[in-house]
Amino acid sequence: MTSDVKTEKIDKSLFEFAEYDSKNAELIGYSNYSYWRSTLQVFLKNKIAVILLFVVVLLLLFTVVQPYLPNQHSPIKINVDADGLQLRNLPPSSEYWFGTNSIGQDIWSRIWSGTRTSLFIGLTVGIIELIVGIFVGSIWGYVRKLDPIITEIYNVITNIPTTIILILIAYILEPGILTIIIAMSVTRWTSMARFVRNLVIIIRDREYNLASRCLGTPLHRIASKNLLPYLVSVIMLRLALAIPLAIGSEVFLTYIGIGLPVDIPSLGNLINEGRMFIMTPSLRYQLLFPTAVLSIITISFYVMGNAFGDASDPKNHI
Amino acid sequence: MKKILAMMLVLVLAFTGCSSKTVDTDTKKDTAAENTTKTEVKSEEPAPPEGITYADKQIFNSVYAGEITTLNYLVSSSTNELGLFANFVDTLVDYDKYGVIIPGLASEWSSDESGLVWTFKIREGVKWYTSDGDEYGDVTANDFVDALKYTFNPDNGSKTANIAYKVIKNGEAYYNGEVTDFSKVGVKAIDKYTLEYTLEKAVPYFESMLSYASFFPINGDFLNEVGDTFGTSNDTILYSGAYIMETFEPQNRRVLVKNENYWDADKVYIEKLKYKYNKEASTIGPELFLRGDITQVNIPSGAIDAWMQDDKKKDMVRPAIASYYTYFYALNFDPNYDEAYNPEEWRIAVNNQNFRKSLFHGLNRIAALTTGEPYNPENKLGNTITPKNFVNAGGLDYTQMGSLKKFADTDSFDSKLALEYKEKAIKELEAEGVEFPVSVVIPYSTGSTENANRAQVVQQQLTTLLGDEYIEVFTLPYPASGFTSNTRRNGNYGLELVNWGPDYADPETYSEPFATLYPESDERAGTSRYKYNFPESTTQVDENGNNIFDVYVSMVNEAKAETIDLQKRYELFAEAEAYIIDQAWIIPYRLGGGGYVASKLNPFESQYSPFGVASLRYKGQHVLEEPMSSKQYFEEQAKWQAEREEVFNKMK
Amino acid sequence: MASLYLQKKGGKMSKYVIKRFFRSIFTLIAVITVVFLLMRMMPEEGYFGETGTDKLDESQKEAILTNLGLRDPMHIQLLHFYSDLAKGDLGDSLIYRPNVSITKIIKQKAPYSIAIGLSSLGFALILGLSMGVVMAKEKNKLADKMGTFYVVIIRAVPPIVYYLFIQLYLTQIFKLPLLFDIDEPSSWILPTFAMALGNIAGYAMWMRRYMVDELNKDYLRLARAKGLSERKIMVSHVARNALVPMVQYLPASILFTIGGSIYIESLFSIPGMGGLLVDAIQLQDNNLVQALVLMFSVVGILGLFLGDVLMAMLDPRIKLHSSGGGR
Repeated sequence: MTSDVKTEKIDKSLFEFAEYDSKNAELIGYSNYSYWRSTLQVFLKNKIAVILLFVVVLLLLFTVVQPYLPNQHSPIKINVDADGLQLRNLPPSSEYWFGTNSIGQDIWSRIWSGTRTSLFIGLTVGIIELIVGIFVGSIWGYVRKLDPIITEIYNVITNIPTTIILILIAYILEPGILTIIIAMSVTRWTSMARFVRNLVIIIRDREYNLASRCLGTPLHRIASKNLLPYLVSVIMLRLALAIPLAIGSEVFLTYIGIGLPVDIPSLGNLINEGRMFIMTPSLRYQLLFPTAVLSIITISFYVMGNAFGDASDPKNHI
Repeated sequence: MKKILAMMLVLVLAFTGCSSKTVDTDTKKDTAAENTTKTEVKSEEPAPPEGITYADKQIFNSVYAGEITTLNYLVSSSTNELGLFANFVDTLVDYDKYGVIIPGLASEWSSDESGLVWTFKIREGVKWYTSDGDEYGDVTANDFVDALKYTFNPDNGSKTANIAYKVIKNGEAYYNGEVTDFSKVGVKAIDKYTLEYTLEKAVPYFESMLSYASFFPINGDFLNEVGDTFGTSNDTILYSGAYIMETFEPQNRRVLVKNENYWDADKVYIEKLKYKYNKEASTIGPELFLRGDITQVNIPSGAIDAWMQDDKKKDMVRPAIASYYTYFYALNFDPNYDEAYNPEEWRIAVNNQNFRKSLFHGLNRIAALTTGEPYNPENKLGNTITPKNFVNAGGLDYTQMGSLKKFADTDSFDSKLALEYKEKAIKELEAEGVEFPVSVVIPYSTGSTENANRAQVVQQQLTTLLGDEYIEVFTLPYPASGFTSNTRRNGNYGLELVNWGPDYADPETYSEPFATLYPESDERAGTSRYKYNFPESTTQVDENGNNIFDVYVSMVNEAKAETIDLQKRYELFAEAEAYIIDQAWIIPYRLGGGGYVASKLNPFESQYSPFGVASLRYKGQHVLEEPMSSKQYFEEQAKWQAEREEVFNKMK
Repeated sequence: MASLYLQKKGGKMSKYVIKRFFRSIFTLIAVITVVFLLMRMMPEEGYFGETGTDKLDESQKEAILTNLGLRDPMHIQLLHFYSDLAKGDLGDSLIYRPNVSITKIIKQKAPYSIAIGLSSLGFALILGLSMGVVMAKEKNKLADKMGTFYVVIIRAVPPIVYYLFIQLYLTQIFKLPLLFDIDEPSSWILPTFAMALGNIAGYAMWMRRYMVDELNKDYLRLARAKGLSERKIMVSHVARNALVPMVQYLPASILFTIGGSIYIESLFSIPGMGGLLVDAIQLQDNNLVQALVLMFSVVGILGLFLGDVLMAMLDPRIKLHSSGGGR
């Protein structure tokens, strides 16, 4: 952001005198700055992010409508031949687009079913984070007496490796979707709470808010104009990032054996099953397809989320 | 495979016929003087079979994923662990490569007329060695007494104690604390090298039990010395067998080296066994084998197709040797699971013979088996509880006797029959107020994908065939550790795949999971000892008004009482077994072991026995230059069978 | 990530360190307590193993639990646990290796984890920082974009995916061993490299961010104006300060290494603590899981403590709560 000032010859024809207008003079200090428009502008400048936004939207749409499309197989149905025996390890074909797994289930539909599971986990964790984070954050900021206690809790949680907390909770509870959600939520609310707390303190203490309040601006206006944009942008960012994180955590927990039960199609289970064929070239597609889809999803959400986070940060608005 | 019992028969007849027969040994005759002249002959290794060459370096390498938890061989019953212990500690009796009983640590033995008192002469000059290979002391008769004293103490938590205490006089009473004086227990060291066992009752299979871990010896002084740490590391056990564990680093590696001072060292050819730990052993093992890093690997079911289709790899695989574990689906008569799955409804349904038979004939076993055995699954089907070729009498295999033959020769899966029984069951059960669909709870262990896959296949196959208006199948995942405790032993299932391994050479061993209840003297009297499918809870009566469990138990008891005429005994057991298969208490499923291996070992060199630990020993085996192909395997198998037949015929 | 709210007053370094130290101790005690209490929620089967659950009757199980002290009131149990910990006693393994002291097991395993962990950290430091320098210098050019792409992949894609592909393809391409072998030095390469991947991304990012900020600073303009070559500026002015991003990322890199060790050690069969944790979890050996979770927490807490202290020593201007850096 170097702003090289260069002195040029001044062309006087470019200038003219302004006339005094008492009406316009009243409008001083008004700017047509709109937070959301600027956010959009900055975001649109990031071409990759825009492309990935489309990818994300398409992915979301697709995972929802996929089961209703024609010629789709059930993700849990074991496909059998005329003799009732499983159509095992079929390579990709027009019938089974990504082939079948070792018991004859359609890998294509399992991938999307797994993606639905992961999106569900990610969104739920994101929403829990939102609710708990905003709630705890507000109390943290407003109730001064509780401040030291919550600060200590925050310090303890953030001091333990997240992975270890994840493992510990998943180990203690029964394996399942709920367990993964709980295990992820336990650590994740903290950053949202801290953010909200800072917002509250800003409302309380920042000079411009103080000034605004002195000028008689109602609190809800301060909240909606000065704070909401921040909050919404952070919420969007955290929601977007919750999805790659949910996928990563689920894959990790499944790998160490405390993830989702094997009969729930999930990306972690698919990768774990595919892993067995890593040394068998002819069956390696069972690993390659899930990892490819998984990588597209996680990268899209990650990049898009970060780009939106950058765009929505007023510091990046000019 | 045949004739295993012919030999047993000879032995049994020998001692019931009152003469105290001595089984003499070839090895015993090898006195020191003869040894010198015989050295050349002895050191000359047996020539390998045609088409097979032994490797120059007799070193065995492998990777493993299942770490052993203990070296305490008096406690463990896991095959994985016994596979090592068998090479560390010798047993009183042993088996040769044809399955003929031969002397081990006992050089000769005999029993009295009643068959109750057995006397063993312990081989003199056999020593205990430490993990450094240093001599610790002699193997004496007292070592066997100290071992039972240890395992019969419930505090030590021996998992193999029950096999010994049920047969040894006052064993169970001592274990349960009813007898506190160990000298009343039927084991005595008469002198340094004479051991005497007294049995609770005469059984025709006592000798065969002696090759199992329940009768491993232990050096009492050493045990006192190490105390609680016994078996926690390689230097806290002693070795009397062919190998010594030089290195034991859990989750890293173990190294077994040949014990040069082993009493039968001439028959030990593999110098060193190296095991490398890898959690992903099953995934990368085949690749390591192709790279020549390891000597033997199981080809996982997922990869077998790819190997069989590859011209080069095809010749590297051969079938694995089957074990005498038997796998069957058990129908639980005492359901004890979550109310959400209506256990009471299942309880009524399972007491209906037609309902059970609809499942019995409805289960497509090939479909289920394909999940783990995709290549020629038919070869692995088991139609009876007792596997084929386990024992025979009068030239007839046990499974071909009486009513059992019918089941042994037919596939239980028959969709037409299944649907017929379904209709009957619906009629009868609706009259009893059962609301359909009946919940069928199938738990599975999350330990391997194969389990989950099989559960899903069975779920869909049964539902599709029998209809979701008839049954609703729930597959419930449980962690691998504690799986049987959490499911089968607690009655926490409706239909579960379970297994059972033989403890001795008699079909009685396969009746135990169903027929054995705690004795009257026990506080748990009347409840199942092994906690399989609790048939004692059945309320069903047969046409004569007798409870079907009582009918079965009386059949088993009648068979057990027959200790003289083995053929009759087996026929009676076969009838009992046929009864519960016909009643569909269980659905026979598959034989143990199996699958495919790529291996540079010749399984027909190995010691052989369907029970005990003899077949787990590396003694007598060589590392081959090239992996054995399926073709070679079948050739060798045929040759082995012919030779075996000859050996048994000679013994007659 | 790091502790919030640490206002360093008066600039007394030692005072801050002591304060920060006690905060870590407090956190540690809190963690120990929480982990201990959580583990008490586990089913009691975990204390008998497969053997016990099957063979022991209720009274014997009671006796064992009483012997283990699990029937004492919770606060007594906790006190026992603290005092045992203070003596360095983590209890005995229950299932993984029954009756073997956990301290002994960990003593066997820890050296491998530490060796691999440290060498991967060192590796990541060198590669990551130099990558960051290149990216900053080539800002918005191809090298920078490729670097950013790498960072995105590492951060977005679950590690197991790229670990698997490393194990599959790199062993074939470079003819490296598939498994770790203590006697075979070349078997160290891939695990160390794989474990370093995440931290390379982390260091590269911090270094790049730091450099870009730094390059815009006035003293560099002066240096340029003086006519110093870009190369000289880079070497003698900017890169010299690499310590700052290094320390900033230190705690996160330690945490990342812990997470990575769990995968890497079991994939490459390194007999370390990460692989041990996976095994202990699968065997449900409660005591061992508890001990390992504590060990890893201690490493994490120690890492954050070190990071904060170093940061404070390095640059008193930097607000003490901004260290760490998210993962």
